[in-house]
Amino acid sequence: MPVLRRANSPMLLFLPALLVLAVFLLVPYLNILVMSFRTPGQGIPYAPGWTFGNYTKFFSDWFFIGQMANTLWIGFATTLACLLIGYPVALQLARGSDRLRGLRYGIVLTPLLVGVVIRSYGWTILLGNNGVINRTLIGWGLIDGPLPLMYNGLGIIIALTHVLLPFMILPVMGAIQGIDPALGLAARSLGAGRSTVFRRVTLPLSLPGVQAGCILVFVLSVSAYVTPALIGGLRVKTVAVSVVDALIDTFQWPFGSAMALILSVVGGLCVLAFARATRMKWAAAR
Amino acid sequence: MKKRPADVIFSVYCWLVYAFLLTPIFIVVLASLNAGNFLTFPPQGLSFRWYVVFFENEVFRRAIVTSLWVATVATLISGCIGTAAAIYHVRYAGRAKEAVRLTMLAPLLLPEVLTAIALLFFVYSIGIGTRGMVGMVVGHVLLTLPFVFMNVSASLESFDPDWDLAARSLGAGRLMRFRRIMLPMIKPGVIGGCMFAFIISFDAFTISFLLKSVGTSTLPIQLFDYLRTNFTPEAAAVSSFSVALTLVVVIFTEKVLGLKIRRF
Repeated sequence: MPVLRRANSPMLLFLPALLVLAVFLLVPYLNILVMSFRTPGQGIPYAPGWTFGNYTKFFSDWFFIGQMANTLWIGFATTLACLLIGYPVALQLARGSDRLRGLRYGIVLTPLLVGVVIRSYGWTILLGNNGVINRTLIGWGLIDGPLPLMYNGLGIIIALTHVLLPFMILPVMGAIQGIDPALGLAARSLGAGRSTVFRRVTLPLSLPGVQAGCILVFVLSVSAYVTPALIGGLRVKTVAVSVVDALIDTFQWPFGSAMALILSVVGGLCVLAFARATRMKWAAAR
Repeated sequence: MKKRPADVIFSVYCWLVYAFLLTPIFIVVLASLNAGNFLTFPPQGLSFRWYVVFFENEVFRRAIVTSLWVATVATLISGCIGTAAAIYHVRYAGRAKEAVRLTMLAPLLLPEVLTAIALLFFVYSIGIGTRGMVGMVVGHVLLTLPFVFMNVSASLESFDPDWDLAARSLGAGRLMRFRRIMLPMIKPGVIGGCMFAFIISFDAFTISFLLKSVGTSTLPIQLFDYLRTNFTPEAAAVSSFSVALTLVVVIFTEKVLGLKIRRF
């Protein structure tokens, strides 16, 4: 990397990435912001003239507000489920050293190695009214009719938790691995029990990983499109699904843009609030 | 060391999670081996007939090539510019550190759907539309950039500027210091990040779905289209094949390159 030779211009290292992000992310987003204020057209994506109507349309309709609440609820539930399910696994992976470790690490990565369409397809086979789970339970005589596992929020949360677990486990595992094992040993030698070591050393030091994992999972679940589209069907729609419907099926470019922007602003505010709240609390815990 | 009951419970809990992670994939593989014409459980006998059907299907073969191509190009670009940005972030950004990090993570923090739409409008407004694969590759670069950046940054997190000073006081030149201090530190991050990037790109659906042009369907898009109209186990065979393909890439990286991503 000859760039490094120029002592006075390390900025050159950052420049290519910055340019890519400015041209292909910032400019298109400004473009979409402009689009969201355009007047909807009949038969064409947009008409000349400007309006706030696309935003007022969203906030004056309980249907859309309910959809937003539903989307956020799915995001929170998925994040919590990923944290509760993922943390112990991250701990085991970070600390374990037996021969099966490679295998277990591989298993954690499998949802990432498998496309989102394939995973959702697998859940469809499992959760459907005629799916494996319902058939088995009916076969055993435990239930009379199929349980509603798909085409509702529960199905989406299950599938999203599966899809996003690695995004929780990997950062937490990384954070735990970054902890010097000597810290734990020192605490043990001073008489701390294993649970105390976990509570006072491992857990607080792993919180940056937890924070990163929670943000990742929340953002990815709120903006997920394929999983809600395939598992939610026509009955439960998240905002992301509605956005794509508006843009692709009905060519409402201005309204779709406004809806997408509202989703990202609301999601961003949640992340900011979370980051601020956790930073304060975790600083106190240390 | 003797096993305590708490350890056993902990271990069982973890294995249940592993079972949860594997079930949907296991079920797809099982479905692909079904000898019958439809997805039924338990399968009506085992056979590889759907794999034969799939391999004779030109459409899926072309989609696999497209996917591999897009993922490779996107990973190479992200790998280079993401690594450079990560070095800048950890070593030189100074007060702007947090701003640089947020900028680099922006594609991840913004909803993928929105990025895809924004990019779609953009390629239309500059006149190239979705012809060729420029839009799609750019989308995949945006998508994968944060993962390279995060991995390389993480591997540099324990970097101590004193090491650089020490090496310098011992007479090491800039290049030497880069090769002997920086490179060994970032190597696992770069390879791990690129692997992750490749997988993310290979999986990417939303961005490809909105930015694809006629005849450049990637594998996930082709599968999605297929699943809307067909219910034969061929889709399961395609899925299983793509899982196996990725598995081969990962095992190659781990065993042949001897890479231990997790030990950084």
